[in-house]
Amino acid sequence: MMKFYELPKLSHRVYYVWLRNLYSHKRFIVSTLVGNLGEPVIYLLAMGVGIGSYMKLTSGEPYLNFIAPGLIVSSVMFASIYECTFGSYLRMIHEKIYSSIVSTPINTDEVVMGDILWGTTKAVISGLIMFLVVMLFGIGSFIKLLPIIFLMLLVGFVFSSMALIVTALAPNFDFFTYFLTLFITPMFFFSGIFFPLDEFPNAVKIVSSFLPLTKAVNISRFMMQGSILNRNVLYDVFILFVWGLILYCLATLLIRKRLIK
Amino acid sequence: MIIAKNIYKRFKDIVAVNGVSFTVEKGEFFGIIGPNGAGKTSTLRILCCLSPLDEGLLTVMGREVKVDDRVIKSNIGIIPQESDLDIDLTVYENLYLFSKFYGIENKKSLKLIEDALIFTELKAKSNSKINDLSSGMKRRLLIARALLNNPELIVMDEPTIGLDPQARHFIWQRLRRLNKSGTTMLLTTQYMEEAEQLCNRIIIMDKGKVISEGNPKEMIKKEIGSEVIEVRVEDAEASIISQIEKNLQNINYKKEKIGDTIYIHSQNDNGRDIVNKLTGMNHLYIHYRPATLEDVFLKLTGRGLTE
Repeated sequence: MMKFYELPKLSHRVYYVWLRNLYSHKRFIVSTLVGNLGEPVIYLLAMGVGIGSYMKLTSGEPYLNFIAPGLIVSSVMFASIYECTFGSYLRMIHEKIYSSIVSTPINTDEVVMGDILWGTTKAVISGLIMFLVVMLFGIGSFIKLLPIIFLMLLVGFVFSSMALIVTALAPNFDFFTYFLTLFITPMFFFSGIFFPLDEFPNAVKIVSSFLPLTKAVNISRFMMQGSILNRNVLYDVFILFVWGLILYCLATLLIRKRLIK
Repeated sequence: MIIAKNIYKRFKDIVAVNGVSFTVEKGEFFGIIGPNGAGKTSTLRILCCLSPLDEGLLTVMGREVKVDDRVIKSNIGIIPQESDLDIDLTVYENLYLFSKFYGIENKKSLKLIEDALIFTELKAKSNSKINDLSSGMKRRLLIARALLNNPELIVMDEPTIGLDPQARHFIWQRLRRLNKSGTTMLLTTQYMEEAEQLCNRIIIMDKGKVISEGNPKEMIKKEIGSEVIEVRVEDAEASIISQIEKNLQNINYKKEKIGDTIYIHSQNDNGRDIVNKLTGMNHLYIHYRPATLEDVFLKLTGRGLTE
């Protein structure tokens, strides 16, 4: 049995946890996707098409081109956040799925990883649909698909892990509202999706530059504009990896602490 | 099959399991009984490797719970007290995914699921949603689920709590049948009738300790005797009690008084004599019955409310 501080113990059994979630969600997959996509698509239309018609970038490109890469990764973020807060909390506390799985040879660490990978899966699907929507507006191309999928996997993993940390600490569903309004929404606006942060004080810029969403938006923008192998991109990818690793380990430790008594 | 040596489990401010030792042999039907908060469920959870052992030694099938949790969990079937069935899935999908969790190949799992459904008479419900099942069917499905890995040991926490008599008897029969076919069974229960019906050996736990151990019938004989006469007294207790004592002069008996009821334990099968001596008295409700495990339980754990 794992101790609180031990490194995660994983095996192929992670797949069965993921499979369980696939089985349970195959009935609702359409409705949840529509739900997760709603927000970014509305921003795309309202900001990109609505406000965007009054604005032109200095480069001459339409505003929509500026925000589209950020909205793709934020749709990934929102999908993973919703899945691994509300979804995971429901599974863990209300449906007792976690405790029924750990009574088999599968351990808590594998349940955590399975749920994170499931959140990542749903997030990537949301992101891909968003990518297609953006393509309908004539932005991006299928050549970008492979690097973009890689980015989506990474972003999905980072935010699923982050969400599971919140789930491990949540006393009830209301807790997630705080997390969303006090952390996720500000991050959404200050990650450079809609406007560069040049006009803001240094403190804001520095904090923002370390946030995982800011990194994801930067990478996405580079990728969509074609310059994939760039030193800045590699640095940002590295930072996202570090975020993923730290958040994942923390999520595992905190779920262990909550469940193993 | 199971050896527990001086095991301890502590939570923040309580000691749930306070130095418990017992052994379960292969093929036994073993019961842990006790009031709420006695430490039964905690003991079970440690045994199933769901809760870490704080102190002591506990081996299941020769393997230590602290070390070989994966191996132990692969070889036992667990029937939890509260349903943790997957309500998003059908009956069949529940079993299918559990067979996956146990790492059973698809070829084998079809047969195992089929057998488990037949054994618990749930075949017709294969495609039902969990929420459409009655509580008795849910419990049967939990049993079916616990059989998928062909366990050598089945561990049950209050397997018939909250069920109607039909459902309860069905489950008892199935559990006995499993035991007859060689599976070692371990259950906790607060229903004494259940322990008497099923178990060949029990321990009684109270406040985290084992307070008695043995075969249920022998324990009844030793602690109580063979018969009990319950006498419920209405008013004027003191005077009626002294009246009873007077009527039963020269008769060999033991008695315990709890609230408004006096439990008279007859000695040497003299219950009929006692009843005859008491029938003349007014305001008495008399119930003459065989002694049960409940009498033992109440005698040993005290009759006050434990909560």
